[in-house]
Amino acid sequence: MLRRIAAFELRYQLANPILWITAAMVFLAAFAATGTGFLAEDRTVHRNSPFELISLYVMFSALFMFVTTAFVADVVLRDDQTGFGPILRSTRIGKSDYLIGRFLGAFAAAALCLALLPPAAWLGTLMPWADPAALGPNRLEVHLLGFFVLALPNLLVTAALFFALATISRSMMATYLGVLLFLMAYFTLDTAFGGRPGLTLVMELADPFGRIAFKDLTRYWAPAQRNSLLPDVAGILLWNRLLWIGLALLFLAAARAFYRFADKGLSSRRRRGLAAPPSPAPTVPAAAPLPSPRHGPAAVRALVRARTRFETGLVFRSPAFILLMVYAMCTCFFALITDRDPDGRPGWPVTVSLIPELQEIFAIIPMIIVTIYAGELVWRDRDRKVHELIDSTPYPNWAAIVPKTAAVGLVLLAVFLAGVAAAVAIQLGLGFTRLELGKYALWYVLPSTVDMLLFTALALFVQAVSPHKVIGWGLMIIYIAIRAAGLGPDHVLLAFGATPPVPLSDMNGAAAFLEGPWILRLYWAAFALLLLVAAHLMWPRGTEARFRPRLKMAALRLRGAPGLVALAALLVFAAAGAYAWWNTNVLNLYRSPAAQEAYLAEYEKRYLRFEALAQPAIVDVRLDVALYPAERRAVTRGRYRLRNLTGGPIRDVHLDLRDPELALIRAEVEGGRLILDDPVYGYRIYRLGSPMRPGEERALTFETLRHHRGFRNGLPAAGLVENGTLVHERELMPFIGTARDGLLSDPAARRRQGLPDRPDPAGWAAAGRPSATLDVVVSTAADQIPVAPGDKVSDSVLGGRRVARFVSTRSIPLFFSIQSARYAQRHRLHNGVDLAVYYHPGHEWNVERMLDGLASSLDYFQANFGPYQFRQARIVEFPGYWNFAKGSPNTMPFSETLGFLADYRDPAVFDRIGLTTAHEMAHQYWGNQLMPAGVPGAGLLSETLAQYSAAMVARRRYGAEALRPALREQLDSYLAARGGAKADEAPLVRAGQSHVLYQKGLLAMMLLERRMGEAAVNRALRTLLARHRPPGPTFALPDELVAALRAEARTPAQQALITDLFERITLHDLAVDGARAVRRPDGRWDVDVTVSARKFHAGGHGEDRPAPLDEPIELGLFTADPDDGPLDRRSVVTVELRPLRTGRQRLRFVTDRRPAYAAIDPYALYIDRKLRDNVVEVE
Amino acid sequence: MLELVGVTHVYPNGTRALEAVSLTIPKGMYGLLGPNGAGKSTLMRDVATLQAPSEGSIRFGDIDVLAEPERLRRTLGYLPQDFGVYPRVSAERMLDHLAVLKGIESAGERRLTVDTLLHQVNLWEVRKKALAGFSGGMRQRFGIAQALIGNPELIIVDEPTAGLDPEERNRFLNLLAEIGENVVVILSTHIVDDVADLCPLMAVIADGRIRLEGAPGELIRASRGRIWSKTVGRGELDSCRARHALISTRLYAGRTIVHILADSDPGDGFAPVEGGLEDVYFATLAQLRRAA
Repeated sequence: MLRRIAAFELRYQLANPILWITAAMVFLAAFAATGTGFLAEDRTVHRNSPFELISLYVMFSALFMFVTTAFVADVVLRDDQTGFGPILRSTRIGKSDYLIGRFLGAFAAAALCLALLPPAAWLGTLMPWADPAALGPNRLEVHLLGFFVLALPNLLVTAALFFALATISRSMMATYLGVLLFLMAYFTLDTAFGGRPGLTLVMELADPFGRIAFKDLTRYWAPAQRNSLLPDVAGILLWNRLLWIGLALLFLAAARAFYRFADKGLSSRRRRGLAAPPSPAPTVPAAAPLPSPRHGPAAVRALVRARTRFETGLVFRSPAFILLMVYAMCTCFFALITDRDPDGRPGWPVTVSLIPELQEIFAIIPMIIVTIYAGELVWRDRDRKVHELIDSTPYPNWAAIVPKTAAVGLVLLAVFLAGVAAAVAIQLGLGFTRLELGKYALWYVLPSTVDMLLFTALALFVQAVSPHKVIGWGLMIIYIAIRAAGLGPDHVLLAFGATPPVPLSDMNGAAAFLEGPWILRLYWAAFALLLLVAAHLMWPRGTEARFRPRLKMAALRLRGAPGLVALAALLVFAAAGAYAWWNTNVLNLYRSPAAQEAYLAEYEKRYLRFEALAQPAIVDVRLDVALYPAERRAVTRGRYRLRNLTGGPIRDVHLDLRDPELALIRAEVEGGRLILDDPVYGYRIYRLGSPMRPGEERALTFETLRHHRGFRNGLPAAGLVENGTLVHERELMPFIGTARDGLLSDPAARRRQGLPDRPDPAGWAAAGRPSATLDVVVSTAADQIPVAPGDKVSDSVLGGRRVARFVSTRSIPLFFSIQSARYAQRHRLHNGVDLAVYYHPGHEWNVERMLDGLASSLDYFQANFGPYQFRQARIVEFPGYWNFAKGSPNTMPFSETLGFLADYRDPAVFDRIGLTTAHEMAHQYWGNQLMPAGVPGAGLLSETLAQYSAAMVARRRYGAEALRPALREQLDSYLAARGGAKADEAPLVRAGQSHVLYQKGLLAMMLLERRMGEAAVNRALRTLLARHRPPGPTFALPDELVAALRAEARTPAQQALITDLFERITLHDLAVDGARAVRRPDGRWDVDVTVSARKFHAGGHGEDRPAPLDEPIELGLFTADPDDGPLDRRSVVTVELRPLRTGRQRLRFVTDRRPAYAAIDPYALYIDRKLRDNVVEVE
Repeated sequence: MLELVGVTHVYPNGTRALEAVSLTIPKGMYGLLGPNGAGKSTLMRDVATLQAPSEGSIRFGDIDVLAEPERLRRTLGYLPQDFGVYPRVSAERMLDHLAVLKGIESAGERRLTVDTLLHQVNLWEVRKKALAGFSGGMRQRFGIAQALIGNPELIIVDEPTAGLDPEERNRFLNLLAEIGENVVVILSTHIVDDVADLCPLMAVIADGRIRLEGAPGELIRASRGRIWSKTVGRGELDSCRARHALISTRLYAGRTIVHILADSDPGDGFAPVEGGLEDVYFATLAQLRRAA
């Protein structure tokens, strides 16, 4: 019986269009995932690697929740809906057979859909367009594991849970409410507790999808492991699966136990309603003739008004809407609260930082809401069988469409307002009382609502022409998926509803960037109107569902008003489109991603061959930069002194102006004539009448214009803005000769373009840059303060313009920025150096902290590395359109989002601003004094040393223990980033990847410092710097640092350590297996610790090779758990350096106090992928 | 006056629901009688502009219904055979909504319309109740109330009395008769008595074709002398069916009264009876079956 019921159910479900749409989507998505990698970026991890495929199984099976719920809820609810229930329940069928049989049938249908994943993924790899370099072998066992261990149990869990809910509640609404609550709880708990070390195990077990367990198991897998290994099923994953399969069976048992064959009966409210006594008989109105209808414009207006009220009433009073609002509020609250404090970096909840978060929270959900509501509203009359009543009345179609659009628009408006309410509540709750409701309205609620109205027009149109609600929904979901995956057209004029993004800033607002989006909204609104006219013409009215008669009717209806409206919309569409095109493609440069890739490749083919050509050096720069912030324009006149520093004559001078936004008005090389001018690639060659002899100087004069006009297709040009201008050197002036930075680096793109593989980039933007003396005159609006590097020698208002001159008499690398805004300033004189912060009024929260950071850095660096070269150190704020700080000489631009907005009211919060400030300050030595050559590994001399120096400053200020969590974080970032890297990993001395240079580099330096001592390491650095300090032999090579450190190393072990840290990729696997303490007769303690230790060297893909271990490593005995927050000194019983070898070994300690915990590598200095086993309790 | 000429309706699945139907329907009640599946509802929906026929033309007065459905809708009252309701919406509110749709512009006029009609169909007391909780008869009365909004000149009621108890049916038919004096009312039904009681003119439709058209009285007169009756036992029924053109059978006190159609006395114990409209109707259907 059970089998036959299940088989019937399966056959029934196979006739369900939702099932087929789902199946098609699963197939296409999996097919595309392996064939084109649309779900993953190009990386060294194969698209069909075990890691990617199993991730795919987890993702699909979790998303499948929506589909499975539809299937299994339908199982119990459809009999009540169709009225077939009583017939069925009066048969001899048993409850178990009925329920479980049907459940199994529906579950099998869903499982069959998901079973399309393996063949689709396999077929994808066979396609001719699949990049063979991005694929590995196809392995059956990967699919077996993915499907049976992860996907199928996941499906069972959600199916059983929501089946039980549907069975018990007997309501579709309650079931979907359950899905919503489940999702909310899932995301909430994951964000709240995910990643907390103490809760890892609980989270891994509690995750119904096994996602967290899989993520944790594979977190530190480098590409080599991701491509080859399967996750260990026997451990935590097995327990997770067993737990949840057990729970799923429990849900099924509950469904069976609570199910009653009897009818549900009326709700108590309805019973009361029926029992109510009839109201007293009213006075019968006189039998007057009924009023007659009117059909003039006034009547139609009244109709639209009344209908809008009616439609919105229906929507707003539905339980679904109330649920939606609760959901929106909860999500917002939660997301905003958790996002406020990412990794212990709380920020002030300024409006411009909350708006992007709201936009992110509501990126996809509103589209789904619109899709659902559009389907419901278009098809409601038919679904409720009211359509014959309604459609035989004389209302015009558009009088149905407009109110429905308005109703959906109002729903979305309510959602967005709920988000704002949550955001404002959070602001007030956190004591941020600058209420900026206008900003919320103009930058968030209004544009979002308009965007969603446009989307509503599309959804209504799709529903109006599709023959069934479900088909319309399916089409829209596919469209949303494509849009969310970023697979749509790149140009805003081609992607429906697309607008250029609007970056926000407290300093400058968004005013300069609003024209583009609103022109595009007008353009798409006109298009949406065309869609609505089409919907009006094709409106499914009455009982006619066929497409062709409706099309015939549509042609007939087009005459008259609809035709005129369509024509007007078409005109607006064309006009707005033409204007937008003029802006994006004529005033600004537009290249599609493919065209940009081809452009860079072509540049490289044409001009990179000149890279090694001998060129004169720029030794002196005079600039006159006229900024016109309101016009977003900068005119630069400049004069270079070029000197031949090479040993031979120089015949040609090459000029590089790759920035397409920078227009070269004129350029003259003394005694040279232009022989090549390639404006497309920004390249010029001047032939000198008489070649430059060694040591000879020539002048180069030029004038450039930088003018942000109109709006662009993508991110707006945000450098020149009304308040908060930030322009970099390369954005104002031409450079001599060509360089590699900014060229194609993605290996897959290089393969596509037929370019040779190239080694890692330098990792430091200014590597190999020329140094010159600098004299800059900056003029700007009278009420702004201009800032440039060097001594300010004059500052006055002349002719309504503020003019300031900055002079650097000492050569500095040409790596600087020019800024201008209405700044407030704070100065502090510290040992003869003018420390200053230029900030936006209202952002004074952390200015003192920044000054402290500058001062303490200066103290440490001058004591350890040598003299500071300038009379000033400035931090200059710029709008948060970007999020970085630039370690340029003496004047350092800092983003408003980097520290200015951090919230330090809680004293426990780690001083990251101090760290960042010290890092940029360290670049005054590492980068600006010690100038790396433009070779791979250059970042070791700048970023790694800056990281180290900053950490030393922090250690001096706050102690080693306070640094430990930050070091742990660095370790985690490094290990986690290895798996997703696009290119092979190189050892530190050749590295260009930031996770190697910053994160691993810091750990390496800290370990070296511990083994060799602070004095020795700093001595090595000082020696290296002294050798290269300008004017000396200029560019430094990374190997020189290694040599300098080797010169300080005293023992072979230290030499071996330097090899391991800088010239190899080295990993350790350290563990404490057990520890016992026994009291000695003399009252002290014998402590016996068993540890395991192994060392590996890894290749570029992360493939491990065991290496012999023979080095001393710290072992610590503590009275408190060192993983449990910062330790104080009293809880340290002892920390000793013990020689360790590969394998298991026993170590003995004698201590005065009884230790409670034994830890290996307690200072977290080694690259160890498994930290969990580094600490044990002492027995 | 409603005129249908050569109206043919073919559904996408190939079903020919109407086959060259031509009818002229003057003011007053017009009965459209036919068995289930005869094409009545298709015809009603075609006239009510809910769908368009595949061929033919429909005119109402000076309105070409197929070209200008909007104009017909302005003067149409339509009660579909089966209709649903919105959840959580009361009779009063729904009627008001429909009045809006039908062009009753001012709130006051709508109020008057709704109140009057609610009284007329005797739903005043339950006007605040959700329609979803209405019984079949109450829902049907609501249906007629909405069809009367705005003084339509063409009223189409499709199977209105199905599922009503006798009292409700009476009340309903009285209401229709009252209205039917000045406007065109098409009453489609499979219940002969509805037509017999009310309609001065009628047509019989079966298998998508009009089989009979005229005034009930005349049709009855035309059948006079051709209908014969006999009471038979259970065993005789089959032989009777084989030998005669059987119109109808009816059980009475355990035996069966058989009506047959014959131009002259069939003998065999049959006696002539004064036929009713029912006999005319069944005779028409019987002939059709015979022909098939």
